[in-house]
Amino acid sequence: MKKLSLIILVLISIVACRKKEHDKIDGPSLQDLNGQFTIINTLQASQDSVDFSVGETVFFTASLSKNTAWKLRISGLSSGAEKIITGLSSSLDASSSLWNGSTSNLPLFRAEQCKVELTFAGEPDTLVVYVKVLQPKTNSGFIVADFENGFNSGWGSFTQSGANMDFQIKTDTSAAEGNDYLNMAGTVNWDWLIGLVNFKASAYGASTLPLPSNPNAVYFNVMIYGEPGLINSIVLFQFQEDDNGDGLFTSTSEDMYSIEIPVNWVGWKLVSVKYSDLLCLVNGATSTPAGNGTHDSDKIQQINMLHLANPSSGFAKAKIDYVIFTENGPLIP
Amino acid sequence: MKVIIGLIFLLTLLDSFSQEGKKVQFIGGARSLISQTGFSSDDSDTVTPRKSTGGYALIDLGIKINPNSNTEILGMMRIKNDFGGFWGGGVTFDVRQIQVKGVAGNVVRYQIGNIDYKLSPYTFYNHNPDLLVSSFSTNRIKEEVLNYESFYKNNNTWRQQGAAADFALKFPKGIKEMKFNGFITRLNPTNFTNILERFFGGGNVVVNQSKYLTLGVNHVSTFDLKQTALTDNAYRNNVTSLTYDASWTNDKIKIGIDGESGFSSSYSTQNMEGKLSDYFVHVKGTAQLKKLGVNFKLGYMDNGPDFRSFGAQSKRMDFNQVNGFYERYTNAQIIRPLSYYDLYNDPSLYSAGISTRIMAINPAINNVLPYGVATFNRRGVYMGGAFSDKKKIVAFDATYYRLQEIRGQGTLQLRTFHYLNTTLKIDFSNWLKWKKKQVFQLGLAYQKTNRKSEFDFETIRLNSLTANAGFEFEIIENLSVLGNAFLFQCSGNETEAVRNASGEIVNFNQLTIDGIENSFSGGIKFSFTKDVYLAAFYESNSNSYNLAAPYRLNQLMIYYIMKF
Repeated sequence: MKKLSLIILVLISIVACRKKEHDKIDGPSLQDLNGQFTIINTLQASQDSVDFSVGETVFFTASLSKNTAWKLRISGLSSGAEKIITGLSSSLDASSSLWNGSTSNLPLFRAEQCKVELTFAGEPDTLVVYVKVLQPKTNSGFIVADFENGFNSGWGSFTQSGANMDFQIKTDTSAAEGNDYLNMAGTVNWDWLIGLVNFKASAYGASTLPLPSNPNAVYFNVMIYGEPGLINSIVLFQFQEDDNGDGLFTSTSEDMYSIEIPVNWVGWKLVSVKYSDLLCLVNGATSTPAGNGTHDSDKIQQINMLHLANPSSGFAKAKIDYVIFTENGPLIP
Repeated sequence: MKVIIGLIFLLTLLDSFSQEGKKVQFIGGARSLISQTGFSSDDSDTVTPRKSTGGYALIDLGIKINPNSNTEILGMMRIKNDFGGFWGGGVTFDVRQIQVKGVAGNVVRYQIGNIDYKLSPYTFYNHNPDLLVSSFSTNRIKEEVLNYESFYKNNNTWRQQGAAADFALKFPKGIKEMKFNGFITRLNPTNFTNILERFFGGGNVVVNQSKYLTLGVNHVSTFDLKQTALTDNAYRNNVTSLTYDASWTNDKIKIGIDGESGFSSSYSTQNMEGKLSDYFVHVKGTAQLKKLGVNFKLGYMDNGPDFRSFGAQSKRMDFNQVNGFYERYTNAQIIRPLSYYDLYNDPSLYSAGISTRIMAINPAINNVLPYGVATFNRRGVYMGGAFSDKKKIVAFDATYYRLQEIRGQGTLQLRTFHYLNTTLKIDFSNWLKWKKKQVFQLGLAYQKTNRKSEFDFETIRLNSLTANAGFEFEIIENLSVLGNAFLFQCSGNETEAVRNASGEIVNFNQLTIDGIENSFSGGIKFSFTKDVYLAAFYESNSNSYNLAAPYRLNQLMIYYIMKF
């Protein structure tokens, strides 16, 4: 009987050691799958107004009866900018709904009133709150052009003498950033080139653009607008390097890397590319660089922006805005 | 090493070894089945055939060779001819069994090839959790065919391909003897790309201290062999357990305690954070009143929710399968789900080996212990009793389980389970002292599942009853009349877990079950010898689990079964 008692004692001890399972479940919550959806606490913003330029953020709170796929849409009432935040949870808090002023869909936010809408998959409810942006987010990087101060006198330009030509800085609410952008339009039926702008390093008071030397850490970003109904615009950026440091670019002995962007979309779009990914292009075809063959991002002496279109395609139109180099990653607008 | 007085080979040598030294023997069996089935649905079904005729004749011919007194070689071939096949059409030849076994050095017994093996109920064991009531009469004939086809023996072994060895040590005092068993089998071959060679192996040491105390340590492992494919993500399932059996007896009473406790771990080598570990405890106390022929038992089990043991949790029947017989019916050609009719009639639905995934269950059939006593996520007590009189007129046993989940599925609310299983057998011939056998048997299994909640979608109420009553009355010598009535009724709702390939629950299906399946059969059986008989019976099966499309199967079956 002693043996029996000992075995029972050991077994009872083992059972008593079982970890608590009361707060665990296997599988997804039935409440989430089948429970009734109700809003327990309505949508609220952590603050009514926010100054993103000094690093402030705003977050939103709400609580629901069950885990639900939700979508938070913040739209600038003046700019039309959009920030989309999505999640699957039974509550919104700082960890899931923090907004630092960034944009999901261009244009960028401005100093403006914003409407915040919270919607839920499969549910008709929409919760709304308003937040005022006192100052938009500032982006770190070297701005080549945002056109807010007009045409830099240090830049060069050329415009063909075709029909309906409009190669000017415009000021209106359709800008991707701020209030100004470069409008590029016209019909040139004898040449691919419609117009160009030369962004010279000298325009910024230096012989080369002030960029890091590591081409893997340098990102070129530009916002380009595609005109509805027109898909014939091509925007070509050429990056001329002064490899030998003589203050000049010699096409036969120095590198020029390019990116050719067919503008086949409608509206504003951010195009970002790592500098080391740029190719040497001749008439659109990949070629061997004429210089040292290395991507020297710290030796860019001039950037040429060419607006091109097939001469037989007729009228072409595109816009560009906010040409900026960023470091260690593409621009997060 | 004074303690060890010698190595002996413990287990009885194979029957054939003692059979007058025959070097070559022919063994095997033969069976023939002819069936005529009538199918009808209440729906105005003009698509499904109303009648079908089937059957087959087969012979399993084995040659057992004893090249010497310590070695036996067995090869068995099956020749099968489906009903209607002629001159080679429909005739198949299969190798049914290849095995070499013997005793090495008069010490170690070994088996290579097809081996029938088990260890303990929580490590490697062929439970039978879906045929809840003991079969009798016509259903017993069918179940015997199922078991024979799938190599299910009455001792709960699984048929595997591999090798096994065992030997024993005897001691003069302190310990009576120690048995050592080991085996290794292959579960699946590699495809040389993303599937590694998978093995299942293990063994145990059983210490027989005396007739009062036996202890055993068991370990099994399912493991992938690295470098047999391009992937390095190898799967592991390890189970270790301690079995114990202690008893005390005198002239009037015998009391004892036995059971098994252990732990498991399951993981992939490249996903250690997904590792599942848990333990189980199962202990049972027994008391036998010898003069009254009465036995009592009281048990407790606690099987952790993450306890995984594929050697013990593999089911004979995977309920994700599609029927092979009248798989669709009605003009809409809806799928006919697996029913008890299929469970008793279609051997091809049964698994021949263990599976390394959590097999689908049918909550209507067995929601309480769908993987036998090794079912994970169960805790509770059970109790039971058995009685048999000395004249062997009446035999009765009953077991009642009261279990609960340990971890909720989709909710913190836990299911509670009630399960009563009972069998009553009455031998009128012993009672009336007739030479001709007159036996009646009744089996009942009642299950009830509840989950209480303030929400309807979490609430579960499910009741099921499985009952079988059968008789075998020998009217003239060797000729018996058979009759059987089977009932399976279930109603209520359940939340069925949908699992991914890794066994994780990813969704739930809300089930509403309300139906009855009943089957009545009757016929005759003529026994030429104990192992050779001819049986003919008619069965009428009706099924209303699909309320919109109930159906009926009427079947005439003629079996000829021979073992030699």
